[in-house]
Amino acid sequence: MLRQLMIFAIGLGFVATLRAEDKPVPKLDDKAIVVPIELLPSRHFVVLVKLNDKGPYRLILDTGAPLTIINSKVAKEAGLTKKAGGGGGLLGMLAGGIDQIQVGKMQVGDVVSEKSGAVVMDHPTVQAISDAFEKESGPIAGIIGFPFFSRFAMTVDYQKKEVTFKPNGYKPGDYMQDLMASMMKIEEKNKPRVVSPAGLWGFAVEKEKSDDAEGVTVKTVFADGAAAKGGLKVGDRVLTIDGRWTDSLGDTIIAASLIKPGKAVAVAVKRDGKDVKLTITPTKGN
Amino acid sequence: MRRVFLLAGLAAALFITPGFAADPTPKDKPAAAAEVPYRLTDTKHVLVRVKLNGQGPFNFILDTGAPAVFIPNKIAKKIGLKLDDKGWGEFDKFAIEGGLIVEKARTRVEDLFQLEGMNGMGMAGVELHGVIGYNVLAQFRITYDFTADKLQWVYLKDFEPPVVKPIGKGGSGGGLDMMGNVMKMMAGLMGVKPNFDIAPTGFLGLEYDEKKDGLYAKSVLKGSPADKGGIVAGDKIESIRTTSIDDASDLKKALAKAKVGDSLKFTVLRDKESKILTIELGKGL
Repeated sequence: MLRQLMIFAIGLGFVATLRAEDKPVPKLDDKAIVVPIELLPSRHFVVLVKLNDKGPYRLILDTGAPLTIINSKVAKEAGLTKKAGGGGGLLGMLAGGIDQIQVGKMQVGDVVSEKSGAVVMDHPTVQAISDAFEKESGPIAGIIGFPFFSRFAMTVDYQKKEVTFKPNGYKPGDYMQDLMASMMKIEEKNKPRVVSPAGLWGFAVEKEKSDDAEGVTVKTVFADGAAAKGGLKVGDRVLTIDGRWTDSLGDTIIAASLIKPGKAVAVAVKRDGKDVKLTITPTKGN
Repeated sequence: MRRVFLLAGLAAALFITPGFAADPTPKDKPAAAAEVPYRLTDTKHVLVRVKLNGQGPFNFILDTGAPAVFIPNKIAKKIGLKLDDKGWGEFDKFAIEGGLIVEKARTRVEDLFQLEGMNGMGMAGVELHGVIGYNVLAQFRITYDFTADKLQWVYLKDFEPPVVKPIGKGGSGGGLDMMGNVMKMMAGLMGVKPNFDIAPTGFLGLEYDEKKDGLYAKSVLKGSPADKGGIVAGDKIESIRTTSIDDASDLKKALAKAKVGDSLKFTVLRDKESKILTIELGKGL
């Protein structure tokens, strides 16, 4: 087992040195395309997918999947890979590796995505689901993941049994590349993550370790700063910034890191036991 | 085509529920719609925060590949959740950040190897506590758009999501459940001891103005570290330590790793004269 792990560790290093490929973004238009979904008894949902005009195949759409996965049989059939990758159990995956590919044309319903990244892999869970329902509705060939659906504003409606896709110009990047690069920064993983507010707010908060109530307490409000202009006062308990909970100093900084200078946002505070809604517009600064 | 070694367990958060009794659909109706703040983790999972029975917030992944809400035993214990003999519990209050409350949300309590593995290696860049699956997701029409900073959730008033039917004995099968332990071992071998704490950068209190010829102090907050250190409105920021500053992004870079209490040497140009100022960064934002 140790040997496998070592191979695995080397694998990480090897991949981290590969160059990212540019993946073109689909052309933007305003048309939203509706794709019907089939809800499995297990309540995963399936969409029909054509791969390089082959198919349609049935794939599970999974918002929890960072990768699109296609089983080796279908990948071969659709000419996505020259050899069958993946294969079998855990050791096969660890030692054998998995083929990372690019699907020239991936069509989910009437939605076409070009050069979408995927991996060829026989995922045991997909196989188990496929086996369970194959008799009634046919086999399942894999999972549609982040590299596909992130390119769209995607609306999932279980009531109408449909998913709506509208291109949004988002670039998913190269998942494996990003992940491996991030895993190489072990020293940074072992240290607290340093976060900066995106703009200048002009206040400071504090929270005692023993204080586990919601919110953080305002300790300082700098005169003429954005917070002072928005009406924030010392002693206020800040509950949310732009809808994000601020239950710790870290939460407060993260919320502020996500708000661009010049954007007016709602800040909910508790003042003398009453809920007060403020609007604060951070400025350009640090 | 490239050959890569993949963390199999991470490929997808895809689960099957083990056998269990029908999941009763909640009858109480939560708020109609909300904008739900989210973040993408380093592993490209959609993270939303949830308070469980008033405690938390906890970090959850939105996962249409999961049939239900899953939380680990540790969290169930922490919030004092009562479980039935099949390993299910029901929250009194399941509050999603952004203002949604799901009544009587049921959860499966199980230590998911995917989450354990990711947490052991610190892969997501944030600690993951659980998964939100079908039994909650199906009650809403949800729009995911990663060019926006919120997800749109609309409650489906007249919809009772069909119950989940279990598959066989359940579990993830195929030896995948070993992955959690394998990844924890890996983490040990690689020297990863993930730290999920947040360290705010030091506070300056300087509002700036980006001009063609450089970065200027537009105003300085009274009593802030910039003020105490002697920066005045109109100063041109020339350098911080040894880094020359041409624009706001240079300044942000120079301050990116600076902590509360760090002293930084600023060179500013005032009345055609260079001045060196020492500024001790403080607390604030």
